[in-house]
Amino acid sequence: MTEYKIERVKSGIPGLDELMEGGFTKGDAILIAGKAGTGKSIFGCQFLYAGATKYNEHGVLVTLEEPPEKIKRNMMRFNMDLEKLEKEGKLVILNLSPLKSDLPIQIADYPSFDLSGLRILIANAIKKVNAKRVVIDSISLLAYRYQNKAILRAELFKLAAAITEMGCTLLLISEVPEDSSSFGVFDVERYLASGVVVLYNEKVSETNRTRLIEILKMRGSNHSLRIHSMRITNEGIHVFPAQAIVK
Amino acid sequence: MGNFNVSNYDIHTDDENSEEKIKILFFKSDHCAFCPAALERVRRTIQQFGEDAIELEIIDVEKDPDMAQKYGVLALPTIIIGDKSVAGVPDTEKLLSMILTARLTYGDDY
Repeated sequence: MTEYKIERVKSGIPGLDELMEGGFTKGDAILIAGKAGTGKSIFGCQFLYAGATKYNEHGVLVTLEEPPEKIKRNMMRFNMDLEKLEKEGKLVILNLSPLKSDLPIQIADYPSFDLSGLRILIANAIKKVNAKRVVIDSISLLAYRYQNKAILRAELFKLAAAITEMGCTLLLISEVPEDSSSFGVFDVERYLASGVVVLYNEKVSETNRTRLIEILKMRGSNHSLRIHSMRITNEGIHVFPAQAIVK
Repeated sequence: MGNFNVSNYDIHTDDENSEEKIKILFFKSDHCAFCPAALERVRRTIQQFGEDAIELEIIDVEKDPDMAQKYGVLALPTIIIGDKSVAGVPDTEKLLSMILTARLTYGDDY
């Protein structure tokens, strides 16, 4: 390998960047996968918050799951004031949560649709704040809104390409079903992204669980091949590079 | 496929509620491959009811993204009638059933 350096984007997660040559590869799509309660949404918000407050990179949070009010409330616990960022024009929270009482009920989808509506909304939000970071939380929710998974799979590839072609680094958050060994509900998640980061909340005894993080894939990076300890502190996620579990 | 003629359905547009038009929201973009076919089907279905019974609003998501966000429209084409929506090119029976359901719902509001 040559000494050619790929431009990096700081993750904003203390301890993580040193496991992957200084950060995510700029302008790539990265999958953040994990089961419920592993810290995926915190990870996504921390990436955006750090971008806006430390690295002058504005962001877009696309929420397909929780309403913005709850996200903002929960992130305040980690001293991340997302509302302030919105007011300062550094963040757009694109509210596509299904938890809105006045939304029409989706009664059918025919195998003749695309996700260009979502693409247009995200592109519009990116332009609004000149965003360089985009988080979609979570792509798994699309599977519950639309039945036709073959179309969704193809459209997810187009969506990721459209966002990264705009110069943004994209985090795709994917909820891994409890009894699954895949990285999400579509079974193509790992192919969508140049990088795959997996979060775990593993039961280590009858009374204890431990949080772990693994960089499974990061194209263009010499990344750690170990599973590392991770904690969720008052300041968000913190990775401990020295505390590794050998695979 | 069945007979799509609206006369097969028991609908009355000349009752006291006839002034209230049923509204159809049609979300599209110029880059959506299936949108023209879906719009054509919607227009043909509407013709069966008569122009006075239904109001069709066509929303170009690129020009009016706020409307798409308001209605949570991710897929195109999306058709919203009353409190129901469908994505893709619906069959005519589905459209008829949505219009008739909306008609009943409108009636409940008076």
